[in-house]
Amino acid sequence: MTTDTRSGADPAPLAGSARGLRSRVGRAAPFLPGLLMLTLLFLIPMVIMLVFSFWRTNNDFDLVRDWNVSNYARFFTQATYIRTFIKTLIMASAVTAAGLAISLPFTYFLVRYVSRRLQRAVLLAVIVPFWTSYLLRVYAWQAILGEKGALNQFLMGTGLIDKPSTLFVYNDLAVFVVLIYVYFPFAALALYAALEKFDFTQLNAAQDLGARPDQAFRHILLPQIRPGIITACIFVFIPILGEFLAPTLVGGAGGSLIANLIINFTRQGQYPEGAALAIIVAAFVTVVLIIFRRSLRVEDVVTRG
Amino acid sequence: MADLMRQYSRRQFLKVTGAAGATVGAGAFLAACGANSGASVAPTSPPATTGPVASEGPTAAPTGTFNWMTWGDHYYQAQVDAIAASNNIKINPTLFSDNIDAYTKVKQVGGQLDMVSGDALWVPHYFEAGLIEAWDINSLQVSSQLYSIAREFEIWTKPEGYLGYPFGWSPVQVYYDPANVSPAPDSWEVLLDPKYKGRVVVEDQPVEIMAYMGKFSGAKNAYSMTPEEIAKAKDLLIQLKPNILRLANQATDTIAALKSGEAWIATGNLGTESRVKDQGGPELKVFTPKEGTIGWMDSEMIVKGGANESLIMPFLELAEQAEYIAANFILNGRPLFNEAAYKILVNQGQQERADRFLYNKPETVHTMDLKGPGTSTQAVIEAFNEVFGA
Repeated sequence: MTTDTRSGADPAPLAGSARGLRSRVGRAAPFLPGLLMLTLLFLIPMVIMLVFSFWRTNNDFDLVRDWNVSNYARFFTQATYIRTFIKTLIMASAVTAAGLAISLPFTYFLVRYVSRRLQRAVLLAVIVPFWTSYLLRVYAWQAILGEKGALNQFLMGTGLIDKPSTLFVYNDLAVFVVLIYVYFPFAALALYAALEKFDFTQLNAAQDLGARPDQAFRHILLPQIRPGIITACIFVFIPILGEFLAPTLVGGAGGSLIANLIINFTRQGQYPEGAALAIIVAAFVTVVLIIFRRSLRVEDVVTRG
Repeated sequence: MADLMRQYSRRQFLKVTGAAGATVGAGAFLAACGANSGASVAPTSPPATTGPVASEGPTAAPTGTFNWMTWGDHYYQAQVDAIAASNNIKINPTLFSDNIDAYTKVKQVGGQLDMVSGDALWVPHYFEAGLIEAWDINSLQVSSQLYSIAREFEIWTKPEGYLGYPFGWSPVQVYYDPANVSPAPDSWEVLLDPKYKGRVVVEDQPVEIMAYMGKFSGAKNAYSMTPEEIAKAKDLLIQLKPNILRLANQATDTIAALKSGEAWIATGNLGTESRVKDQGGPELKVFTPKEGTIGWMDSEMIVKGGANESLIMPFLELAEQAEYIAANFILNGRPLFNEAAYKILVNQGQQERADRFLYNKPETVHTMDLKGPGTSTQAVIEAFNEVFGA
C-alpha cells in the first residue's frame, strides 16, 4: 500500500522532473564542447600549475612533492619581483590607456563619417597584421627603430638629427610603442562593435538641449559604449601581463616584464618557481576580471540588443 | 680572408653537399650490394610503415623512419634526402633549443624518441637517469674517422660502453670590432668596461651568462657555483647590465647586431666572426678570455626503449661520413670531431678556415668548463632575475 501510494502519487512530478532534466541537458548541450575545452585546457592545467607551485625542483630537474610556500615567499621577499610586477602593471595600464586614446577617435570617425563600404576596407586593414606572425611583426620593429633603422634614416635624411639615435629601441619606450601597435586592433575592434550600434542623433539631441559637445560625449556617448571600452581594456590589459616576446626583442637589458622572469625559471626546468609567479599573476588577473565583470552590467548588453 | 669567405656562396655549398651526398650515397649503395650479394634489401620505394622494416634475409638492412630530437645544425636537408634515397632511412626530427628542454621531454616521452642530441655533462646525466643506452662506439666503422680523443672522453665512458656518438664542439669566445674596441682585449673584463655602454650583445641564456661571469670571478665550476661564487658573479652581472644592448634570442640576432654595427662586442660560438663577415659586416677579432671559458661538445645518444632503435646505427654509419661532416662544417662553421672530414677540408683548400676554428685542436675541449646540469641552476636564475628584473 505504502509502495502503491508512493508509486501512484508521484508519477506526474517524476515524469515532469525527468522532462525538465532532459530539457535542461538539451539546453546545456551546446555549451558542453566549450566546457570540456575549458576544463581540459584551462582548469586542469591551472590546477596542475597550482599544485606544482607548492613543490620544488631537485638537481635532477625532478619535481619533488615537498609541500612548501617558499616559491610564493620569493615573490614577496625579493623586491625585484614586486618591482617588476608593478612595472608590468604600469606598462599594461599605459598601453591600455594609450590604446583607447588612439582607437576611440579612430573608430568614432570611422563609424560616424565613413561610408559602410569603406568602413569594411578600413577594418580589413586593421585586421591584416594578424595575417603575419606576431614574432615577425615585432622583429620588424627592430628594423624600424634600430640604430640603422628606418626611423633613424628618415630623421637623418630630413636633417633633424646628425647621427643615428640609440634611444628608439632596446628600452621601455620601445616596448610601449610596440605593444600599442600589437594591441591596437583588439581595442579598435571592440570599440567599433560598440560604436556601430550607437545612435549618433542622440548627441545632436543633447546639444540641441543645451549640452556642450564634451558633456554630450561624457554623459551620452561614453555610458552607452562602456561595454566596448571595458572589453577593449580586458583585451589589451590582461594579455600584456603575460607579455614576454616584445620585451625580449625590443626591450634590451632593462626591458623585462614579469613574464620574462617567469620564463627564465621555466626554460631551465624550474617549474615550481615559475608556476608560483604565474599563479600570482593569474590571481591578479582574476581579481581584475571580477572588477571588470561588475562594471560590465548585463543589462547594458541586453538593452543594447 | 675576405676571398676565402666569398667562396661559400649558396651555389658552391650546394655543389659540395651534392658531391658529398653522391659520394656517400654511392658508397652506401655499393656497400649494401656487396654485403647482400646483390639482394634488394634497401628498397627504393618508401616502406609501408614508418617503423623499421625487416626485409628478407638475415643480413637485410633495416629501413624506416626514426624520431630524432636534435639541434638544427646536426644535419642538413641534402644529407638526409641522400640517405633516404640510398638506404630508405628517414628522420622525423624535432628541434629543441636547450639541453634542459630535450632532457625533460625525453623524461616524459622516453622511447617515443629514438635518438637525442645532448651536450657534454648532460650525456652522463641522461645515462644516470636511465634514459639512454651505452654502446660500443667501435662497432661503428665510421667511428674510425673520429679523432681518437673523441672516442675516449672520460665523461662519456662507462663500463657498459660509450654514451654518445661525438659530433661538434665550441668554446664560448668574445668577438669584437677592432674599429671601436681598443686596446685589444684578452679578458672577460672588456664586457664590463663602461666605454662600451649599450654595445655588448650576449645570448639570452641566464645560466651561460652567469657561468662566464663565474669564470671571470674565479669560480671553480661555472655550472655548479657555491653561494659565494654566485654572489661574486652577480656583482659582475650588475656591472655588465648597462653595457648590454640586448639579450639576443638566438645566434642570428647576435650576428645581425654585430653586422649592423649596433653591437661592438659579443659572446658566441666559434665561427661568429665569419658569419658576420659573410653577411657583409665588419671584420671582427676574436679571443678566448685568459680567465678561461665555458663551452660545449655534443653527441648523439640512443634513447632507451626507442621503437626504431635498429635504424640508429645504420643511420649514424651513413650520416657521420666525413664528406657530410665536411659539408656541415662549411655550412655551420664550428669544429666537429671527424678527423677525416678535416683532411677533406684541407684537400679542398679550407685548411685556414678549419684551423682558425680550431678544428684540428679537439683537445681544446679539455680547457673549457663543459656545459652540464649544474647544482646551482635555481640560485643562478634567481641571481639573474634580481639583476635583470626591474
